[in-house]
Amino acid sequence: MKPLNRLRSWLRAVMQRERNEREMDAELRFHIEACAHDLVQLGVSRDEALRRARIEFGGMERMKEECRESRGAAFVQRLTQDLILGARMLRKSPGFTAVAVLTLALGIGANTAIYSVVDAILLRPLPYPEATRLVRIWESHPSRGYSRNVVNPFNFLDWRDHAHAFQAMAALVRSTHNLNAQGQPIAVTGLRVSPEFFSVLESPPVKGRSFAADDAVPGHDRVAILSYELWQSQFAAAPDLLGHSIEVDGLPYVVVGVMPRGFSFPTTKAQIWTPLPLARTEEWKDGRYLSVIARLKTGVTLGQARQDMARVASIAAEVRPDFDQGWSAEVYPLLEDATQAIRQPLWVLLASVGFLLLIACANIANLLLMRSTGRIRELAVRSALGATRWRLVQQLFVESLLLSCAGMTAGLFLARFGLPALLALIPQSMPLPRSEPIHIDGRVLLFTFLASLCTAVLFGLTPALHLSRVDLQNALKEGSLRGGVGGHQALRRGFVVAQVALALLLSVGAGLMLRSFARLIAVDPGFQPEHLLTMRIFTSPSRYADDLKRSAYFKQLLTELRNIPGVRAASSTQFLPLTEMTSGSCFALVGGPTLTPAEAPSSQFLIVGTNYFRAMNIPLLKGRDFEERDSFSSEPVAIVNHAFAHRYFAGQDALGKQLRVCWTTEKPVEIIGVAADSRQADLQAAPEPTIFLSNFQAPMYFATFVLRAEGDPRQIAHSAEEAIHRVDPDQAISDVQSMRTVVNDSVASPRFQTVLLAAFASLAILLAVVGVYGIVSYSVSQRTNEIGIRVALGARSRDIARMVLREALTLAGIALAVGLGASLAMSRVLESLLFEVQPTDSPTLAAVACLILAACACAAVLPARRASRVDPMVALRYE
Amino acid sequence: MPILLAHLGEWLLTKDKQLDLLQGTLDMLILKAVSLGPFHGYGILLRIQQISKDRLEIQQGSLYPALYRLEHQGWITSEWGESENKRKAKYYRLTPAGVRRLDAETDNWNRMADVIAGILRTKPEEV
Repeated sequence: MKPLNRLRSWLRAVMQRERNEREMDAELRFHIEACAHDLVQLGVSRDEALRRARIEFGGMERMKEECRESRGAAFVQRLTQDLILGARMLRKSPGFTAVAVLTLALGIGANTAIYSVVDAILLRPLPYPEATRLVRIWESHPSRGYSRNVVNPFNFLDWRDHAHAFQAMAALVRSTHNLNAQGQPIAVTGLRVSPEFFSVLESPPVKGRSFAADDAVPGHDRVAILSYELWQSQFAAAPDLLGHSIEVDGLPYVVVGVMPRGFSFPTTKAQIWTPLPLARTEEWKDGRYLSVIARLKTGVTLGQARQDMARVASIAAEVRPDFDQGWSAEVYPLLEDATQAIRQPLWVLLASVGFLLLIACANIANLLLMRSTGRIRELAVRSALGATRWRLVQQLFVESLLLSCAGMTAGLFLARFGLPALLALIPQSMPLPRSEPIHIDGRVLLFTFLASLCTAVLFGLTPALHLSRVDLQNALKEGSLRGGVGGHQALRRGFVVAQVALALLLSVGAGLMLRSFARLIAVDPGFQPEHLLTMRIFTSPSRYADDLKRSAYFKQLLTELRNIPGVRAASSTQFLPLTEMTSGSCFALVGGPTLTPAEAPSSQFLIVGTNYFRAMNIPLLKGRDFEERDSFSSEPVAIVNHAFAHRYFAGQDALGKQLRVCWTTEKPVEIIGVAADSRQADLQAAPEPTIFLSNFQAPMYFATFVLRAEGDPRQIAHSAEEAIHRVDPDQAISDVQSMRTVVNDSVASPRFQTVLLAAFASLAILLAVVGVYGIVSYSVSQRTNEIGIRVALGARSRDIARMVLREALTLAGIALAVGLGASLAMSRVLESLLFEVQPTDSPTLAAVACLILAACACAAVLPARRASRVDPMVALRYE
Repeated sequence: MPILLAHLGEWLLTKDKQLDLLQGTLDMLILKAVSLGPFHGYGILLRIQQISKDRLEIQQGSLYPALYRLEHQGWITSEWGESENKRKAKYYRLTPAGVRRLDAETDNWNRMADVIAGILRTKPEEV
């Protein structure tokens, strides 16, 4: 009953404010008049009686305030009051408000935009039930430094059967299929998965069924599950498609299921899933190429799973020492694994915008402090009228809250319109673990709201607390105002030092990234990317099942492509350079000791077409290119790169030497050429020892054609596709792009980081310059009197300017020391993002320090000029 | 009424002989005064002065906040009425909850007073 009563009273107090106030007035007036009335009865004159009654009654306003408070409505009323007052104060100084809101909007907007990306990629759980229990399992070879190696099928089968930590485990291989549902062959991305795949993800199809164990039995594996999107686009969402067969790679596959809309695997946006019929047969014995995922049993920790896998992997190493000696297994959370490459850069970016917001806060705190000096009198008057210290802090803080709310609103607008631009900057290659687009949603809004609240506390509370501590009674006395409020100066300088130091920190980061990026794009890839067109095909296994057929098919394709007018040279490669794809194989020198696969050295290994080195413009240092005469039936040949020859045949002639490559075990291959080094997986990694084999002799199922054009490579794209379709009209073609585009895309991620960091650093410097300008010009205006005296005593304007500049540069100097110290302390954070640049790179540090110093000097020049022109007469009269 | 007036006169002249009100007792006194019948704020003040024979000093400034607080807590309730000299005035009355509260406070106070008086009466040899 009582709380209800109190609530009702409180609500009445809040809602019926006007009436309550009127009644309170009437009641108090009645009291005074009744008292005066009684005094008149005692013989006092009416005027005197009223006067005495009022004195006896005491401070009316203060009592009213206490009455309001005892009703419990005071807080809300005061808040409304403060809000109105705050809004009025902000409107009265539009310049200050505009600068503050804009600064905050930049800080909050940048944070919102970056956070929405970070949240969508790194923080949000993957879109599967209990996704935190999903893990990725890799093979590892600690002594060779491989921590994430794809998995051998036999090992996967052993793991699946013997590990205890997992509820289910599945293997998958990426594939590309030729689908011809609408008269035009298209290449669709597929995943060949072991039947447990969908139960590991606990994601059943929306129509039909998922794979059962029977589907992975060879001969019964012609079944497929389609993505919702493929079903819609290629099969017009036909409801009767289930149970019917579709043609995939020229073979009939029965559609058994359709996945829900938007379903995808984090690292591969597959459109079709087919079974992977794994068995302990010769076919699956060798090689490592499976991706393995698993779901932890409820209650099993990652640590336990790692122990379990180490145990199981050691058993495999004992059973098959030839193949598994030295190999082990690693378990990582699936989300962490899928986002591993961008985790660090994204956190760095989020930290950078965080710093930017801190700088903005310091800036506004300083603006508030400067402004508040002019408000000391106002506050002193309010304090004299009975406002408590807490009450003044509250009022000042509400003003800050208003500012930060305005900043938040403007910032959200900035983020709303800036996010698409930011997303456009995100490279295609960045592994987004979800298919839904990134946007500003409830989670992001909550973050923005909390960030704004924090900023209000950061920039509002310090000045408010500081100001309320000032001796306001003294402040009321004339004269003491001009001297300023001593303590403020130190606090303001602290803020400026902090923001310049933060700006330096960000600029060092941006400088290092710029330098690193400049080095990266200056890297000579070893081939000539201009005038080069690339396109990928995946042959239908059914049509070109045996090696001879495939070899002939590729030969025919290359002949057609070379006949296109405007094509100077054409060839193919298993993996296009700079697409983060490569393969490796163990090998042995013929005549050397016999070694097991686990003991043998391993090198990078690529299968390329005839005239590959000519088409790519990679110089051949010795010997010759692959030619037509190196056919399927002739003696197998190989070309090695300079790094290989240097490592394994130092001081000898590599030509004519023979190798046994594990990939093709039948016959040894003879080295017929040594090519110059070129970059394969990416621009960053130094060229590795590489063995090249001819695609005519060891034909792959897939290849990327490289065509050197006389002019713009895009102009021959159409005729190249036609040429391929002349040989096989059902051959799907994908990834038609110029090599220049491939090169640009390969550095898209560092470019993204560099561009953003540079933008944030520029903003940070701008804000810091505003901060330095503010404090120096304020200090000059405070010292006008002193400067006047100095001039009167004979100081030249040059001396005065120097004095002002010295003040600014002292602050900048302290900030540089702090900022450089912080940069060195945080250097490890950037280390992994940098290419051939040390995070302590002294030229960068020096250049950035000079830049910041110059910026601070520029910021101080205007106030210094103003100071040097002070007229002593005016200045002295001023006081 | 004349008695009250006389009190007022005395009170206004003899303030230095008065005791300061003990912290927290004003609420209790107001409840007691209001329990004797509906009063307006000024009347409550006079009534307390009268009962205490002017030995208590009540800050007028603290009376109204206390009244508002008690009303907010639901122990007293108020309504507008007419004063002796035909003016609109706000009259306070005890609610049933207020009656219980006053009883409890009175009990409490008596016990406390006994205990404290007992302590203060203690002679050295008794310890």
